[in-house]
Amino acid sequence: MAAVKSLSGRQFRAILRKDIVMELRTFEMLTSMGLYTLLTMVVYFVAFASASDAAKTIQSVAGGLLWVAFVFTSMLGLNRSLVHEKDQGCIEALLLAPVDRPVIFFAKAAGNLIFLLIVEAISVPVFYFLFMQGVGFAGPFWMLPLSLVAASIGVAGVGTLLATMSVNTKGKDVLLAVMFIPVMYPLLLGAVSAASAAITGGPGATSEFWGAMGFIAGFDVIMLLAAYGLYEFIIGA
Amino acid sequence: MAEGTAPLALDIRDLVRSFGVRKALDGVSFELPKGAFLSIFGPNGAGKTTLVKVLTTLIAPSKGTARVAGCDVVADAVELRTKIGLISHNPLLYPDLSAEENLEFFAEMYGLEHPKERIDELLTAVELDHRRLDLTRTFSRGMLQRLSIARALLPHPEVLFLDEPYSGLDPHAMDILDSLIAQVRSEHTFVMISHDLAKGLELCSHALILARGRIVMFEPKSELDPGVFSATYRTTVGTGVA
Amino acid sequence: MVRKNIATIMLAIGGVLTTAAFLMAFLWAPMTDFGFVNIGGAEIPKPDIAQKIFYFHVPVAEASFLVFFFVAMYGAIFLWKKDRVYDTKARIAAEVTFMFIILTMISGDLWTKASWDSWWIWEPRLTTYFIMTLLVVAYFVLRNSIEDEERRATYAAVFGIIAFLDAPLSFSITRWYRSIHPVVIGGSSGSWLYGPRLVTFIVAQIGMLMLGYAIYQLRMREEIAKERIEAVKAELEG
Repeated sequence: MAAVKSLSGRQFRAILRKDIVMELRTFEMLTSMGLYTLLTMVVYFVAFASASDAAKTIQSVAGGLLWVAFVFTSMLGLNRSLVHEKDQGCIEALLLAPVDRPVIFFAKAAGNLIFLLIVEAISVPVFYFLFMQGVGFAGPFWMLPLSLVAASIGVAGVGTLLATMSVNTKGKDVLLAVMFIPVMYPLLLGAVSAASAAITGGPGATSEFWGAMGFIAGFDVIMLLAAYGLYEFIIGA
Repeated sequence: MAEGTAPLALDIRDLVRSFGVRKALDGVSFELPKGAFLSIFGPNGAGKTTLVKVLTTLIAPSKGTARVAGCDVVADAVELRTKIGLISHNPLLYPDLSAEENLEFFAEMYGLEHPKERIDELLTAVELDHRRLDLTRTFSRGMLQRLSIARALLPHPEVLFLDEPYSGLDPHAMDILDSLIAQVRSEHTFVMISHDLAKGLELCSHALILARGRIVMFEPKSELDPGVFSATYRTTVGTGVA
Repeated sequence: MVRKNIATIMLAIGGVLTTAAFLMAFLWAPMTDFGFVNIGGAEIPKPDIAQKIFYFHVPVAEASFLVFFFVAMYGAIFLWKKDRVYDTKARIAAEVTFMFIILTMISGDLWTKASWDSWWIWEPRLTTYFIMTLLVVAYFVLRNSIEDEERRATYAAVFGIIAFLDAPLSFSITRWYRSIHPVVIGGSSGSWLYGPRLVTFIVAQIGMLMLGYAIYQLRMREEIAKERIEAVKAELEG
């Protein structure tokens, strides 16, 4: 049993390391994801240009604005990450190896999570710098990052499952969006609530934050379990 | 339950692979002794690739049994994967990793005990040691194929599957591939899909013609009548009728 | 043969029941009140005729959710048994779900407009059904973008399960969110669903479920006949 466990561990680390090394070499995903988020913020500026008190207005919807950017960026990243395996048919070589299919799932999801977190870690300060100077974030500094990490876990997990399917179809990224957004809706609502509570504060913000975190955790657990159980059916198909 | 070193490399009984009305494999049965070289011929859509995919555990059979190197393709799938290698017309290599990194990755996937030594050994055998640090996206088709062989040989497989390995290779690369196969010929059982009748016959010890998911002809080369064989080949493959 | 008869009978009974419920809703079940009207200085409860839509909207909504469950269930059975017939069952169930969900959305929208004079409100049930509509549409878009039969069936089954899990999650979070950020929603409070109203509702619900079952069976017959023709064709060509 110990031997099996450590083989899975080796395989998990190897797949994760491979994805990170490949990304560091080309920076393909991170640059496109980062650029995409930045461009979205330019659009935000334009969208709010005619607001009378732009900073205050933006603060009240900041959680939502951040997550709009993250949703579309993550779909971009998920697509690219799975296309890598499909090119050159590498996924076949992976499947030929004595690797448990769930290990492949967790490793790919972990890689996607890491890239998403990196983009988020850069985007939030940039967002603050562009829009929120003078207004600031209300809640304690750890609240927002905690909600981002928790929600991103769900995004990466379910996203990896859905992207593995969409990459093998004619629909490709459009299909991913069509499946991803309705499935993500509950997680998104939770993520935006938590982020808004952390950013705007006010009475009841703490209980709203923790209520939202509860939902995010529930979504993560249920969906990750489902994805873990279902992944092996789609990876071979 | 694996039978240790069984005398049969392949033991296939009434293998059926279908979904709905389409039958990719329709009752295939044959045996292949260890150390043999099987060439599989057949028109497009005959089920050759499906057969290889079932034998390499990529697809599950609908009915029937198949044992490769003593392992059942369904029940002992995980164990079986450590005993087989596949070389396809796709190199199955990551373009943004170096040759060495590619092999290191697959060594980890197979859980090899002494990866470094094995990788060095293989890189030397396929004559790519001098390019080990280069990204595979810079490799020519022939070099990719050589590295692909190294990848397939990593876990010392008992059975090597080749799916049209010569396609797209220039004559020089073909020669290198020939010599590599010759080098490892005695240590493995080979199963090769080929559209090249001459090449396939030259290398094989057993020949199989597949059409519409069924075996049309299966003979060891020693008992093969070349005239009958070419005639059968021409009628099934030549007309391109699946 | 028996199946077809049962289906036709169900269709008939379902039709009768739904019509009966419709009549009962207007002629028998007592009116509820919604909001107030100022008549001559006194606040008088306003009779809520739009509420009658409830007797159609909720049964069809609940029926659509139930059939949605079957999409997920047949998908799961397909993944287990790999028999193509379960994929067909799941697909037909999805068609019935789609039909019911559209009716849910339309009736819900009419109700909202009649009650609160706006075409859309992001309240928990409507929002969840909207998400469900998107999920069912996604199911069909997914199916249409795959040509390989087996992959299509497998992917659809997996997505069907995920989609079905998503529905209750959507509902509970929207309800929680609305409890914190309420939108001005009036409406009858307390339990008013008793007596004649309850009976009407149950009749409507059963009628709707029967209709759903009947439509599903009739479509399945059609599909099975199609598949038989396909099989015979393949035999002749093969």
